[in-house]
Amino acid sequence: MSGMVHGDTRNPLTELRRGVLEHCVLAVVRDRESYAFDIVRVLASAGELVTSEGTIYPLLSRLRRDHLVTTTWRESDAGPPRRYYLITDEGRRALDAFAGDWARFRDAVDALLAGGARRGESDGR
Amino acid sequence: MDGDELVRDYLGRLDAASWPLPPERRAELADEVREHIETALAEAGRRDSVTVRNVLERLGRPEEIVSSEVDSEPAPPRWIEARIAEAAAKAPTLGALEIIAILLLTAGAFLLPVFGPAIGLVLVWLSTRWTRREKLIATAIVVVIFVLPIVGLLVVTDG
Repeated sequence: MSGMVHGDTRNPLTELRRGVLEHCVLAVVRDRESYAFDIVRVLASAGELVTSEGTIYPLLSRLRRDHLVTTTWRESDAGPPRRYYLITDEGRRALDAFAGDWARFRDAVDALLAGGARRGESDGR
Repeated sequence: MDGDELVRDYLGRLDAASWPLPPERRAELADEVREHIETALAEAGRRDSVTVRNVLERLGRPEEIVSSEVDSEPAPPRWIEARIAEAAAKAPTLGALEIIAILLLTAGAFLLPVFGPAIGLVLVWLSTRWTRREKLIATAIVVVIFVLPIVGLLVVTDG
């Protein structure tokens, strides 16, 4: 398995992040052009999504290569020009498909996790 | 280390870790990470070592960034992982073969004149741990120390 080379594969959250992060990035750039630093900040403020901010760059590179995002260089007030990311039509389709998959996945896991407790016992005991 | 030294150190580690990447992507990644650091520091409005450390910590270890780059290669990244594993396996540069080779090249020159260093050199070239460059250097040293004096001696005695 490719994951075996890397240290923290045992943590299920790490695996989950790896699986969903790319689509979370697509969601961030769906409605608004953003540059990488902003994307990271949005993801970080959503909580739980990014542990190592630097790993966003390999991910963005892959999204570019897969034509799921387009980029535009724009001058910035401070420092060198920045690369802005925006979703493509192809990215939008991938995101829509993921949204459906995710809803089903989340519901299935929720149902299983709730299985041990009695139904309707959502409030404190 | 002050803030700027920490940044240089971090970028140096990133450069070292990112050798398996295609050169263009390697340079691009270095630019992206450098820009990220600069943006974060500009935003913080200070670049003392505590602020820098905090920014670098949030970025994650350079090795981790590169490893996620390798994970996201379009083609099965087996060959890259093989290269990384190979490099890791190489980390101890001395195995039994290398130690015997060194002994033959040094003590062997006195105990087994001519044959000792000759066999030692063969072992050097058989080694999978030493690089080609290291092997060439070893060979050059043997040639200079052992072969040239002998050739020189022959020339002088002939003449």
